Amino acid sequence: MNKKAGLLFYVFLFLFIFVVMFPFLWILLASIKPATELFGDKAFTPFSDHPTFKNYVSVFVNYPFLRYMWNSFIVSVITTLYTVFVASFAAYAIARLNFKGKSFILGLVLSVTMFPQIATISPIYIFMKDLGLTNSYLGLIIPYTTITLPLSIWILVTFFRKIPFDLEEAAKMDGATLLQTYWKVIFPLAGPGIFTTAILVFIAAWNEFLFALTINTDEHYKTVPVGIAMFQGQYTIPWGEISAATIVITVPLVLFVLLFQRRIVSGLTSGSVKE
Amino acid sequence: MKNEKSHEKIMAYSLVAPALILILVIAIWPVLQSFYFSLFDLKLNSPTKSETHLSYSIDLERYLDNYPFLVGAIDNEIKKNHAPDQLGKAKDQLEKLDAKIQKDPKIKKNYDLVNDKLLNFESIDPSIALLKIDKDLANEIGHVSKEVKAEVKSAAKEKKLDQEKKIVGLASGMQDVVVKPNFIGLKHYISDLSSKRVWRALGNTMTFTVLSVGIELVLGLSIALLINKAFVGRGLVRAAILIPWAIPTAVSAKMWQFLYDGQNGIVSKMFEKLGLVDSMTHLLTTDTGAMFSVIFADVWKTTPYMALLLLAGLQTIPGSLYEAASIDGASKFKQFLTVTLPLLKSSLLVALLFRTLDAFRVFDLIYVLTGGGPANSTETISILGYKMMFSQTNFGNGSAISVIVFICVAIISIIYIKFLGRDLLNDGTGR
Repeated sequence: MNKKAGLLFYVFLFLFIFVVMFPFLWILLASIKPATELFGDKAFTPFSDHPTFKNYVSVFVNYPFLRYMWNSFIVSVITTLYTVFVASFAAYAIARLNFKGKSFILGLVLSVTMFPQIATISPIYIFMKDLGLTNSYLGLIIPYTTITLPLSIWILVTFFRKIPFDLEEAAKMDGATLLQTYWKVIFPLAGPGIFTTAILVFIAAWNEFLFALTINTDEHYKTVPVGIAMFQGQYTIPWGEISAATIVITVPLVLFVLLFQRRIVSGLTSGSVKE
Repeated sequence: MKNEKSHEKIMAYSLVAPALILILVIAIWPVLQSFYFSLFDLKLNSPTKSETHLSYSIDLERYLDNYPFLVGAIDNEIKKNHAPDQLGKAKDQLEKLDAKIQKDPKIKKNYDLVNDKLLNFESIDPSIALLKIDKDLANEIGHVSKEVKAEVKSAAKEKKLDQEKKIVGLASGMQDVVVKPNFIGLKHYISDLSSKRVWRALGNTMTFTVLSVGIELVLGLSIALLINKAFVGRGLVRAAILIPWAIPTAVSAKMWQFLYDGQNGIVSKMFEKLGLVDSMTHLLTTDTGAMFSVIFADVWKTTPYMALLLLAGLQTIPGSLYEAASIDGASKFKQFLTVTLPLLKSSLLVALLFRTLDAFRVFDLIYVLTGGGPANSTETISILGYKMMFSQTNFGNGSAISVIVFICVAIISIIYIKFLGRDLLNDGTGR
């Protein structure tokens, strides 16, 4: 196979990246346009004549955007910490220990990742309402388990399997108990895998929409996706503010992705690629 | 040695237990519960239908808010000699009924409890006030209330009553004392499966799934094949690919809504210039325009992700196989067919499975971008289920629709897993 890239290849690559990035670039340019240039003829000129940060200020002053970000952050962080903690034990047992019903459990976990969210929403909503947990952080953290726990077990099992079994045997020979082996041998080696899982779980929780939309309807407990989707002006759709808000949450994500791209890719592909 | 093994087993089960219990409680139980809800006429905004009732019950709060006043008011009229015969008969019936209700010791206990609370103006918990009764008593209550109401009405016709309105109102109120079971079996499913809107939503979902996953597969595979070589800036490309995937779908949907805008959207302007649409405004306001927009946005968001998964699969194929094939004189296309495709099969199917299911469950992208419109042309089955539950507060039917989604997803999974075989669940522990 031709492994060297030609000029045509780079042209194609540039085009591809341009198409992928174009919406963001356009939104970035729109976010610094004053309201008058977002409409009419000026709407299609990429660069503004009078760039302004007014939209950014407005997002934080006229909308509870900081609140949304804080809510998303709290919910995602707690969800991540507790699911990865619970999942790592289960994944360790599935990947490294011998017991009956292993394939069944793994199959169950896999099938739960395929559950449509809409099929669980009505009982969960009623459950949260009866417990008085609508409009609270816990009201989202609990149902997010549906999405994140099977996902993390599935990814972690693949990572745990890659650790050489000899190390475990050696620890056993030295008289270490199972939990000692886990904490002293497996856990440090699985560290990168656990971290990768945590990133994916965090992104999944951060991006979740349906539960957030139905369970936390109060302005005070809305998360970022719901907040931005429900951005309303009094008379018109506030495109300037929406653009600014999009950029505010996209930029940290872009940095995050740039920083951890290798890990994210290994996490995403670990479940689907057989070596 | 045997002891050690059983110890390991116990440890293994206790390590898996917390996760399994959570999955059972938070994912599997709700699905079963959804199915259960779907068998009931469950409406959150209606007081007597907001819970599932399998049997008849009596609402003592309503009853005691009604009965004493009704009897008292009838008594007053009788004393004033207003239609004493008819009203006396009604009163008699009511008193007999009341005696019958109080005969059951269990009802009697709560009867007094609720009565005391009502007299003290205390709030009453539904668990005390709502009591199961047998069908006969329920029928009798219904029958008596009906008769009393009819008698009061005919009495009012013959002779003017002082408190006619109040008495008629109280008599009608008696009819709501019995809470009927709202179990309706498979009626929701029958009405859904004969509803045009449901079939249209299923059709829209299928169109969306087949088109977007199909396009994503072709584009994703070609991109993966093209970038499966050494070049400068791989990391950058990978990061660029990941960005659309990492942005919350709802946020990117909002972004596309701006780009597709009929007056100020740059993408709609471009499509108009390219001749893809007749007019900029057609994009989000016509059936095909809206479906096209939704699919285009989805393709933009997930093609790179698909390419990434396939690229990872491609990289596990050893280069020596291609060398061998080219020595044998196989053309590039032949190499693709005989080497790449067979070895890529399992990653291809896994990627396809997850993308198909994601597309079939699509909610946030369409909900934010078009809201299912215009005229329900982009309404998918998940969106219909959501609207049924939360806009129309018809939880029973919404649950039925969500069970339909679940069944479809299960069928799709079974088909794919048949193709994948045991690859997916292969527990290659290496032991």
